[in-house]
Amino acid sequence: MATGIKQQDRQDAIAGWLFMTPALFLFAFFVFIPIFFAIYFSFTDWNGISPPTEARFIGAENFRVLLLEDGIRRADFFKALKNTAYFSLGVVPMQTALALLLAVVVNQRRLRFKSFFRTAYYFPSITSSIAISMLFLFLYQRNGLVNQVLQAITFGLWQPIAWMADPRGLFHIIFGWFGLTLETAPDWMRANVLSLPVWDWISGPSVALMGIMLLNTWTTIGTMMVIFLAALQDVPREVYEAAEIDGANSRQVFFGVTLPLLRPTLFFVVTLGLIGTFQVFDQVYVMSAGGPAKTTLTVAYLVYRNGFTNSQMGLAAAIALLLFIIIFTLTLVQRRITEGKKE
Amino acid sequence: MKAKHFALLTLLLAVALLLAACPAQPVAPAAPAAAEQPAAPGVINLQLMGWASSDAENVRLQEVVDGWNAANPDIQVTLNLVPDYDTKLQTSLAGGAPPDIFYVDSFRLPDLVAAGALLPIGDQMTDVDDFYPSLREAFTVDNVFYCPPKDFATLALEYNTDLFDAAGLAYPTADWTWDDLRAAAEALTDKDAGVVGFAINPDFARWIAFLYQAGGEVTTPDFSAMTLNTPEALTAMEFYVGLVRDGFAAPASDLDSGWPGEAFGKGRAAMTMEGNWIVPYLKDQFPNLKYGITELPSGPAGKATMAFTVCYGVAANGRNTEAATKVVDYLTGPVGMKAWTDLGLAMPTRQSLREGWLTMYPELEPMLSGAEYARKWQFRPGFADVLDTINSGLQEAFGGLKTPQQVLEEAQAVGEQVLAR
Amino acid sequence: MAASMTTTAPTAVRRESRLRENIRLVLSYALLFLIALVFLYPFVLAISTSFKTLPEINERPVALIPQTFTLEGYQRMFALNVGRWAFNSFFIATTVTVSNVLFSALAGYSLTRIAFPGSRFVFLAIIGTMMIPGIVQLIPMFIVLKTLGMIDSYTGLIIPKMVTAFGIFLMAQFFEAIPREIEEAARIDGAGRFRMFFQIVLPLARPAIVALVIFSFQGSWNEFMHPLIVITTNQDLYTLPLGLAFLRGGLGQNLQWNALLAGSMLTTVPMATIFFFFQRYFIEGISYSGVKG
Repeated sequence: MATGIKQQDRQDAIAGWLFMTPALFLFAFFVFIPIFFAIYFSFTDWNGISPPTEARFIGAENFRVLLLEDGIRRADFFKALKNTAYFSLGVVPMQTALALLLAVVVNQRRLRFKSFFRTAYYFPSITSSIAISMLFLFLYQRNGLVNQVLQAITFGLWQPIAWMADPRGLFHIIFGWFGLTLETAPDWMRANVLSLPVWDWISGPSVALMGIMLLNTWTTIGTMMVIFLAALQDVPREVYEAAEIDGANSRQVFFGVTLPLLRPTLFFVVTLGLIGTFQVFDQVYVMSAGGPAKTTLTVAYLVYRNGFTNSQMGLAAAIALLLFIIIFTLTLVQRRITEGKKE
Repeated sequence: MKAKHFALLTLLLAVALLLAACPAQPVAPAAPAAAEQPAAPGVINLQLMGWASSDAENVRLQEVVDGWNAANPDIQVTLNLVPDYDTKLQTSLAGGAPPDIFYVDSFRLPDLVAAGALLPIGDQMTDVDDFYPSLREAFTVDNVFYCPPKDFATLALEYNTDLFDAAGLAYPTADWTWDDLRAAAEALTDKDAGVVGFAINPDFARWIAFLYQAGGEVTTPDFSAMTLNTPEALTAMEFYVGLVRDGFAAPASDLDSGWPGEAFGKGRAAMTMEGNWIVPYLKDQFPNLKYGITELPSGPAGKATMAFTVCYGVAANGRNTEAATKVVDYLTGPVGMKAWTDLGLAMPTRQSLREGWLTMYPELEPMLSGAEYARKWQFRPGFADVLDTINSGLQEAFGGLKTPQQVLEEAQAVGEQVLAR
Repeated sequence: MAASMTTTAPTAVRRESRLRENIRLVLSYALLFLIALVFLYPFVLAISTSFKTLPEINERPVALIPQTFTLEGYQRMFALNVGRWAFNSFFIATTVTVSNVLFSALAGYSLTRIAFPGSRFVFLAIIGTMMIPGIVQLIPMFIVLKTLGMIDSYTGLIIPKMVTAFGIFLMAQFFEAIPREIEEAARIDGAGRFRMFFQIVLPLARPAIVALVIFSFQGSWNEFMHPLIVITTNQDLYTLPLGLAFLRGGLGQNLQWNALLAGSMLTTVPMATIFFFFQRYFIEGISYSGVKG
């Protein structure tokens, strides 16, 4: 009997590794090895044109140029980081809140046309980011749908703008209403911090970047909504009935019952959103190529442009690595918060 | 049902594994693969890579290449025109199987030279002195003439004659000054009709003509220092940005267009400044448009325009560099060059072809005349950073977010970093 | 909602509150339909615009019905070989999906049901890679594919995508929940691991497989960054998103909206068709993706 079990264990071990072989093989070649390459090349000056074997090892030079040396490299990196942060800070709360709201509404037991609404809201999520970007480029033209709708609902007050060519920052526009412009700004706002003037740091997302943010929200709401729906359906009906008997109104039910129960899902959705928004690339590639005035330059796009167009693969690899560290840290912080809240 | 399902699954998997098993085998044979085709022993197959242009241009280039192929059965050239060219060129050079011959823009040349990607073949061409000296210079780095120019284009002023007639203005001439341009742009601007006098983009490659017309320079001749933070440069930038800020000029995006040529074709701008490429474009897209072409106006320091040119580069690590050089010599030689430029899309880079071309295209004379005083579009490796900075700065200056002085200071600083690398 | 409203009360107060209730109801439905319009109208406009002529698009960019119906945009796209792009997209998505499901299922099964030595470590290592953003892998992936000679080939497009950490995670989650007695019974019958997997466990995993098929296919169909670096010069290997993205520079600098939108619709419609037929699975699939685990 004992030998039987042993033999079975051995067979299991063989079968286990055998079943794993295809996946392990693929992972080794296309995930694990590339990661070591990524780390190695971030310490070289490889230009992406000459053979990689000729890349010179230059220590932490790329990281020094990106983080410590005042100049265009650092300015571009922090500009991209700033744009990406504004993007994330705008999109994640917006899409999470709207998705949650729609999920709660669509989940109502007595709602009619339920599946129509669900389908309609989810539909943009299944389409190609490239096709959608093309479509929004069309809608964002000066004489396009977005401007015309805005004009209609403001009774002609809205002045049409060329969305994707407008570098004005949202906060700059708002400051302007109160008479604060670059000319009137106090001196400290013109001082450089990490190669960017304070004034630039507080620009807010540019109009063009907001265009991409709206698009991104529009396409992701559906997925997030469905995730919330799945979680909502797990909430036992009795919980709501109990609340109703207690005489709670719908707002009280939402904040008192639904939201606390959805907390894990909420954090899942936020993490997903953070990771997604920190990598935004496709839309930028098609719609703006980082312009106007580098206000849609995201970290992901900077990696691509430095590496594959401007022949600075080593530098690009270093930026990618820094991006990874940032995302990783954010996720850890996120997890810490989740666990903290659970207690 | 289930058995069938699994059969299908297995079949698809088999296909996948089969695919995985065979080595890289592109569907259309790339150059190196084709070279091993047994059907034609001794034949050298070359790949010529360029970027896609207008249909007319693509077709003509194919004809020229076909002409070579018919006459030279031992060296066969395949034309491959790709989008997103800079990226594709870089990745295919890095990919280890570079195209044998490829377009090189003069602006990009220093980067490729610095990366050791180009074989210097310029001096092996037939009658090298026949090329315009300014164009040869555009492909010369440290006194080495790397590759022969395939054609060139210069910036000129295009004007919509109908709009000029309607405004009762005389057409622009070669001796216009900046003041004439500005006055005409102002007179032609019609806010209600959504028409501006002049379509210009926030683009270094256009503004630079004004910089030279104002007597400014980007760098010292030996590239030892940047010279953008000068009164001349400021004059040029204030003039260029001023046209937009005052509402007499606008970028294409404000005119619902993808580029200034489109805005001009749609009649949304009475003038624009583009090169030869606008001619076939307007003919194709806006056949009814009535317009004229003249030289760019003179600035405080006289006349200047830009020459944009592209050469045929040969890859330093190519497999058949000798054959490739021969093909390039044909394409840029008197016969190939004539066949290519007779279409009128771009101008011949050989002085000996000048007269013949002018008799065919007298209306494009202003563009050819520009060659006499045109400046090259070529700087140092890494100058893309300066280009980006100025383009961004112009964009912000157009929107009133930065002053011309700030834009120049920034560009100066970035340029100094690039030169110091 | 109607069901709860059936109780009638003849007093004026009741009537008024019922009226208010009804107005509120109408307004909420109107709002929901308006939101649906925001999500769907852009597609409708895109379809309509793809059948317009260029001058008309310039003149009336938001008009819903084309004045002159034209196939110009589609002809342009087919002249550009969009059929080939669609074939490539389909072929790649299919192969990637089939292999991803199979390899993920094998790995997921092995990691959860066969507690072989080292399985815990392997599982963590694989799941850990889900944290690595795609952009980080862009450059090294290019180098690896270049070294293996897979640039500009179907193999380069397909093989690196043949298994995903997400797929393994999804399958593992599902297998974990299947009771072990089922295999015990088979083992007594003398079945080996292969038979157990293919004949017993795999058929049980149908819901998870369907979900993974959908995710995989959709992901591969819409994938952009990977083909962007794998395909350098061979235009016969373009996928739909890749070819479409390049059109922005490729059609001259003019924005030929009818062609661009025709291309967008040709990319969207196949996925939309699949979606409408398998809607239920799409939505079910998402609920398997970790929320319930």
